[in-house]
Order: sequence, then structure tokens, then C-alpha cells
Amino acid sequence: MLKISNICKKYGDNLILDDISFMIDESKIVGLAGPSGGGKSTLLRCIQQLEKIDSGSITCDGQVCFMFQDFQLFPHMTVLENLLYAPKLNDQFKNHEQYAEKILKNLGIYDKSASYPAQLSGGQKQRVALARSLMIHPELLLCDEPTSGLDVATIFEVVSLLQSVRELGVTMMIASHDLDFLTKITDQIVLLRDGKILTTIETKQIENPINYLRKYY
Amino acid sequence: MTEFISNVTFIGNGIFITLQLLFGGLSIGIALGILATILKYNGFGIFFIDRIISILRGSPLILQLSFIYFSAPSVLGIKLSIVSAGIISFGLNSFAYISEILRAGIKSIPKGQFEAAKTLQIPNYYMWKDIILPQIVRNILPAMINEVISLLKETALISTIGGMDIMRTSQTLAAQQFSYFMPLCIAGGYYYGLVLLIEYLGRKIEYRSEYVKN
Ligand SMILES: Nc1ncnc2c1ncn2[C@@H]1O[C@H](COP(=O)(O)OP(=O)(O)OP(=O)(O)O)[C@@H](O)[C@H]1O
Ligand SMILES: [Mg+2]
Repeated sequence: MLKISNICKKYGDNLILDDISFMIDESKIVGLAGPSGGGKSTLLRCIQQLEKIDSGSITCDGQVCFMFQDFQLFPHMTVLENLLYAPKLNDQFKNHEQYAEKILKNLGIYDKSASYPAQLSGGQKQRVALARSLMIHPELLLCDEPTSGLDVATIFEVVSLLQSVRELGVTMMIASHDLDFLTKITDQIVLLRDGKILTTIETKQIENPINYLRKYY
Repeated sequence: MTEFISNVTFIGNGIFITLQLLFGGLSIGIALGILATILKYNGFGIFFIDRIISILRGSPLILQLSFIYFSAPSVLGIKLSIVSAGIISFGLNSFAYISEILRAGIKSIPKGQFEAAKTLQIPNYYMWKDIILPQIVRNILPAMINEVISLLKETALISTIGGMDIMRTSQTLAAQQFSYFMPLCIAGGYYYGLVLLIEYLGRKIEYRSEYVKN
């Protein structure tokens, strides 16, 4: 699904990603963990082509979409307009109105369709951001810190949300500080530190993955 | 009383020139401001445009006005009418301020909004038209209203080169009647009335562009 081969990324003279390679299979959820400044966001931004890589290659078969940590909803559009704007411009997407309705209902925010982002809570914005990403039918969804700033109950919701997204067949890559959250939801966790992959684990095949990963912080 | 009314009507004749200068200057200012902002945003002529803006902001408007009116015939060989000289100089001067307002407006949009549009595969043209510009307009509205009010008051400088605006008609009247009090109060009333109108319209537009109406 996604193949990353030997990518390097520099900001000025600082090497931020240092020869990163890995692959992700279809419909898997992969976590990106590691200390702050380790390069998680940068890696996701490179995959989405928001940043240019200096060497190496990224191949991905399918549509990629990126969910920003601060959502970046369009503040002057209602929830529904936020969802419909992009697919409306693209003939490739059909029946997007019904699809939006279905997603909003699934995420439990259908009653917020006519609200503006400023009128929503953090968790609701999160769901709108997720819904908006799903509107362009991504095969790979990149999420940067989807749980930051959310309370425990809302994090629980995010877990079940993302699990339902997986059921749509969407592959996901999630950068997060929250190891507890990552172990709940991922199949695999990649640990990045100082721009290098220190270890990769199969979340379900290891006993107490959190303790194992903590050693690398 | 009849004298007061005839004074008000006499001074009121100047309002056409005042409004011509305001709208003419504003149109030039906005058009040039948008053009310069687009050019600069795309990396064209940044140094050159910045120098022009700096000079326009760095010299008195009355100097620019007399320069254009009095030196155009000798330098360019064209004789400008008072009103066109006024529209050109007020337009150039407000261009300098408006392009700075627009620059700040673009900077006020978080980089993430551009990136979100890109992520959702929204083409550039639509991103600017429907995502970025509406937010810029909303953010710069208060500063633009300020600029319109400043420009309105600055048009009074046209009286120094003989333009028959509100300021000049009131001075003419004052000279005839050997009394400044009444004519200047009336002129002040006209300007203040126009300012109130601009503020009122501005608030209406601002309200309409609010995303969330409580
Ligand atoms: N635009 C930029 N210009 C220069 N350096 C940058 C830029 N963005 C990130 N960096 C640097 O790249 C490194 C990695 O940053 P990145 O945001 O990818 O880390 P992260 O793992 O996502 O951290 P966090 O967990 O705090 O979100 C940091 O040292 C940061 O200072
Ligand atoms: Mg980050």
C-alpha cells in the first residue's frame, strides 16, 4: 500500500529524517511514536507531499489524506459545507451529499451540519475533520496527534471512530505521544527518534508494548 | 433660518467633488493594491513595489497632490484637471496603505488553511476564491473601513489646489460672509455625516461576513 524507501529530509543543515524505510500493508493501522522533535509530523507531511524530501522515494497506491492536529476546518463554512466543498469540485466523487449525510450520522454529528466550526467542541471538530477527510475517499489516512487536547472519554470515542474507519478499508498512519491510545488501536508501531527508526513492533504480538517502547524515549 | 438653509445648500454642492475623489481614489487604491499584492505574492518586483510604497507613505499627501497637479504639465506635458489630479494622488496614496492592509490580510491566514485545501485536492483557483479570500476580506474589513474614513477626510486637501469640494465651498462662503463659524460647522457636519454613513455600512458588511451570528 505504502512503500517508503531511504528517505532523507533536511531543514537547512538539520537532518530531520535520516534514511527512513518501511512498508505498510493495506487496511493496517500503523502508529508513529517517539519523543518530541523526533520527526513524526515531518514524516507524515512528507508522505502527504506538504514537504519535499531530499532523497529517497515514497510510493503509495491510492488517495492520501491528512488530518491536521489543529483540524484546519474552514471557519467561514458550516460543517456540511466543509464536507461538501472539495468533492463538489471533483467529478470523480459522486453522490457526495448522501455520503456526507451518512458519515455525519455515523459519527453522531448530523445535528451539527449547519453549525460553524467555532460553535463546536474539540471532539466535535475532530469528528468533522475526520468526516471531511473521508469525503475524498482516501485509501491512506494520515493523522497527526488525533488525541491531543481531548479528555479520556473523547479519546475513547476517537478509538472507536478510527476503528470504524478501518472497517471502510482505509489504511491509517497515526502519529501520537499517547502510547496507551496507540496500543489500543494499531497493528504496528514505528518508533522514531532523532529522525531514525529505532524499532518497529507488532502491537498484538508483544507483551506490554508500552513498557517496551518507553525504553526508547 | 433661510440663510442657514441656503448656506447648507451652497456648501452641499461640494459633496459631488468630495465623493468623486473618495470613490475614484478608492477604486485606484484597491485595484493597484490587489495587483501589487498578487505580484509580490508571486515574487515579482518585490523590491520595486516596496520602494514605491515606502515613498508614497514617506511624504506628505499635500506634497504628492501639488506635485502631480503642478508638475505634470511641465514634466509629462499633460494638463490634468483638478479632480483627476486629486483622484490620481489620493489613489496612489491609498494604494500604499491598502497594499499593506492586504499583505497583513494574507499573513493572517494560517499556513494550515492552504495545506488543508491542498490535502483535499482543491485546485489553486478555488482555494483562493472560496477558502482564502473570504477569510482575508473578513480579517481586513476593520482596517479597510479605517482607510476609507481617512481617505474621505484627506480629500479635503483638494481645496489647496482649488477643487470645489465641501471644504472649499465652506471657505468660499466664509470669505463672502466674513464669518468662519457657521460655514465650517456645516462642512464639519457634512464630513461627520459621511463618516457615520461609512461606519454604518461597514458594520453591516462586517455583520454579514461574521461566520457565527449569535
Ligand atoms: N518548518 C521547519 N523548519 C525547521 N525545522 C523544523 C520545521 N518543522 C520541524 N522542524 C524540526 O524538525 C524536527 C522534527 O519535528 P517534528 O515536528 O517532525 O517532530 P515530532 O516528532 O512531530 O514532534 P512532536 O511530538 O513534538 O509533535 C524538530 O527538531 C523541529 O525543530
Ligand atoms: Mg508533531
